[in-house]
Amino acid sequence: MINKKRAASGLAAVLAAAGLGLLLGGCGNGSDNGKVQIEMVHYKPEAVKAFEEMEKKFNETHDDIELKISSPKDAMTVLKTRFIKEDAPDIIGIGGDVNFSNFVDSDMLADISDFEGLSSIKQAYLDIDKNLEFIPMDGVYAVPYVANAAGILYNREMFEENNWEIPTTWDEFITLLDTIQASGQQPLYFGFKDTWTCLAPWNAMACDLAPADVCQQVNRGETTFAEEYRELSEKIIQLLPYAQADPYAYSYNDACTAFARGESAMYCIGSYAVPQILSVNPEMDIDSFVFPANDNADEQLLNSGVDLQFSVMKDCENKEAAYEVLNFLLEDETVQIYLNDQNAVPCKEGSFTLPSMLDGMKEYIEAGKMVDYQDHYYPAEMSVDALIQTYLMEGDTDAFLENFDVQWIRYNRDLIRKVQDYEAKHGSN
Amino acid sequence: MKNDRKRTFMMITIPVLVLFFVFNTLPLIKGFMYSFTNFKGYGSYDFVGLRNYIDLFQDARVGKSYLFTFKFALVGTLIVNVLSLIMALALNNKIRFKSALRGIYFIPNILGGLVIGYIFGFIFTYILPAAGKAAGIGFLSNSWLSSTKWAWFAIVVVAAWQSIAMNTIIYISGLQTVPEDVYEAGSIDGATGWTKFKSLTFPLIMPFFSINMVLCMKNFLMAFDQIVALTNGGPAQSTESISYLIYKNGMDGGQFGFQSANAVLFFVVIVLISVFQLTVLGKKEEQL
Amino acid sequence: MKKTSTVEKTNWPITILLIIGCLTVFFPLYMAVIIAFKKPSEMTNDIAGALAFPSSWGFENFREAMEVTDFWNSLGNSLLISISTVLLAIIIHSLAGYAIGRNKAKSKFYNLAYLYIVSGMFVPFAILMMPLVKQTAQMGIGNWVGVIVLYVVFYMPMNLMLYSGYLTNIPVALEEAARVDGASTWRTYWSIIFPNMKPMHATVAVLTALSVWNDVMTPLVIMSGTAKNTLPLAQLNFQTQFGTNYNLAFASYLLALIPILIFYLVCQKQILNGVVNGAVK
Repeated sequence: MINKKRAASGLAAVLAAAGLGLLLGGCGNGSDNGKVQIEMVHYKPEAVKAFEEMEKKFNETHDDIELKISSPKDAMTVLKTRFIKEDAPDIIGIGGDVNFSNFVDSDMLADISDFEGLSSIKQAYLDIDKNLEFIPMDGVYAVPYVANAAGILYNREMFEENNWEIPTTWDEFITLLDTIQASGQQPLYFGFKDTWTCLAPWNAMACDLAPADVCQQVNRGETTFAEEYRELSEKIIQLLPYAQADPYAYSYNDACTAFARGESAMYCIGSYAVPQILSVNPEMDIDSFVFPANDNADEQLLNSGVDLQFSVMKDCENKEAAYEVLNFLLEDETVQIYLNDQNAVPCKEGSFTLPSMLDGMKEYIEAGKMVDYQDHYYPAEMSVDALIQTYLMEGDTDAFLENFDVQWIRYNRDLIRKVQDYEAKHGSN
Repeated sequence: MKNDRKRTFMMITIPVLVLFFVFNTLPLIKGFMYSFTNFKGYGSYDFVGLRNYIDLFQDARVGKSYLFTFKFALVGTLIVNVLSLIMALALNNKIRFKSALRGIYFIPNILGGLVIGYIFGFIFTYILPAAGKAAGIGFLSNSWLSSTKWAWFAIVVVAAWQSIAMNTIIYISGLQTVPEDVYEAGSIDGATGWTKFKSLTFPLIMPFFSINMVLCMKNFLMAFDQIVALTNGGPAQSTESISYLIYKNGMDGGQFGFQSANAVLFFVVIVLISVFQLTVLGKKEEQL
Repeated sequence: MKKTSTVEKTNWPITILLIIGCLTVFFPLYMAVIIAFKKPSEMTNDIAGALAFPSSWGFENFREAMEVTDFWNSLGNSLLISISTVLLAIIIHSLAGYAIGRNKAKSKFYNLAYLYIVSGMFVPFAILMMPLVKQTAQMGIGNWVGVIVLYVVFYMPMNLMLYSGYLTNIPVALEEAARVDGASTWRTYWSIIFPNMKPMHATVAVLTALSVWNDVMTPLVIMSGTAKNTLPLAQLNFQTQFGTNYNLAFASYLLALIPILIFYLVCQKQILNGVVNGAVK
């Protein structure tokens, strides 16, 4: 008998963990204080200080709503797991990229076209978001908040010392690269070991060399990448001789450090790299210019996309309160809190102080002459960045473009079918 | 008495099996279901039948990842097992500073991916090429991490550097079951030592050899952290392991359904390999 | 007696080789330590600069790293999870190893049970993740408790292998002696087998603790939405998409390394002081 009891207690020990969990699991959901709770999850943990300030300010000025902002690491994974748990937050702050497209496509976001704050957002950014929808939808699904811009960052001091001019056409750009190289200095530095940095020149040059909606066109079966990306592919590979040897050995961080240490005059990357560069060399005087990828300066466009935008989840129970939060976030003072912290470009109309490293791009931003990043349309699993890296290493343009088309169809099969169904139903215009 | 013994064993085994089923097999079955869908990891999805499995066999990238993973695992397992057995014998010898040395060799196993990535990135990108150039050694003068020919081996080196500690610990604990006079002689004292090791020590630690082979093989086959830290699958997609693809495209990308199919296939393949390994090694164990 | 035997028999060639081998650990570790003391503005790509001492040996990075990671809280959570997992692993896995390992040679059922659990080791975590997230949430253990339960299951295959492997070297005769005295199997286990497996308990403790201590993924997905952080989770703070503060990160990693290193050194003594040597043979 004793043995049985002992053995049974062994069983109990085995199940103890699970049982304990069931008991403890119930608590910890928090208590109600009569206020409407709005939870926001965003994917910019680097801006956690700015968000903490916003949260505090909001809760001080609102008696009826309690705002809780969380800034988790690896936010996309966290968000996906929270969806699985059916514990979605009320508002999400993500980038204007393919994840957004997928969320819209999966019918997870609420239509917020009745939100008045939208009228204060620059049309260019609303258009960018609209283009991200796989299939044209009725309604609006996000409030663009801040954007970033990409092109060329340059070392203003080096340029002034050597009297180099800012190039406005592709020919001028190549001439400048030759001049810098002839002077014994390094014109460009790439961190292509981190494959995503291959997309920086690619996206920036694509603004001038490929239609903004090339991916949608291909999905509708109207064109091929072999056709639209040829000039872009041929030009991007011409940059390699002007960079350090074996750029695939160096990481993004190596490249930021090298540029910060004056090892290269220019760095083809976005405004988002500035904080990392300044951390190495806080004194550095950085400015930027729009990538001149074609020969007509007037036709050039700035590469700019929505870096942070807010969407209300479809399951949000209290849309009024969520709008109240959005209204607060869009107040000029709140926007400025974010800008001061993050060197970003606001999507809202109005006079905000732009960071000085965007001097060279200001004109384009103000005029709304902007195109989104091409890679915001690429599915992550296709790893276009790695395809570009492979191409740069191997140099076979035809093979690369052919492969691009093949891979695109393979990874977007379901989407292409959906788009073509839609076209068949609604007729293309 | 016999019944008591049988009953006790059952009373232990059944709850353990239940626990394991609930938190391992049950989710696996659910994952298996997803492998017949085009689920992205969220939102709505459709059943697509066997499409994912058919695609698996036609996808060049998946094929390449299997080749890479097996080459990587084979070489890695070999290197780690040889080195950790030597390390265990050495550390189990009559040496000075035993605790300190054991502690030091354990450290690589604790360092996180960010540290490994940065430091070995620096060594492979800057220090080794500089040393190679200075010494005129051709294959060292370029970074291994940017070479489609060498990058995989750089990861083997780092992964081995990290995992030797763990396998050494298992060998050391195995050596504790060997009577002292056997392994003392069995190390480095020339031919007699080697013979003794082969005929006395090794048979006694054979179960630990099997365990290490399987664990090590498993760790290398499922390598992920070191790849993310060192190459992130590059250069030119030459170091994408199966786990890397499953994780990156299944979780970060929208291929959850397809990569679930990949995971199921991968699981079946490794189980077959390991059962084979265990059976062969098990027979060896009995023979010795 | 002890004195003479160790002094006389010290194997110096091996000792010296092992000390030289330590360089492979010391060099990377040296880099990690100096980076942990440097300021971001001291980071450089040239070799001499990268290997040079920091301009000062102040502990500001460590202090700041502790602040950013909310060190004591995160440490507490990490300790709670690691220690609970290790204790449960030693109790449950050693029992499983005993029951299954003792019978797998003779009984088909136990052999299948063994293969069933061991093969669970090869299930890629990525495929289990989503279902487990949902399952733990539904069971109400989408928190640290769930993380511990999952760890006990995840490390069962490895530990089962280790325990049953170790048992092959503990003769059944030992138990039989006790059985003759009328002790039940259950009691024999706790009084004879369990203590005899001490070196293996220490090994299991080290290996399990190590994997748990460094794991990011399980707590990240299971505990998301709860306010609790483990150390590795908090350390993700240093990495963002477009920038990494290596100096603070390295300081924090070195801090997180200390507890587990101490734990290892304690367990290492247990592995060596195992009773098997004298008692069994």
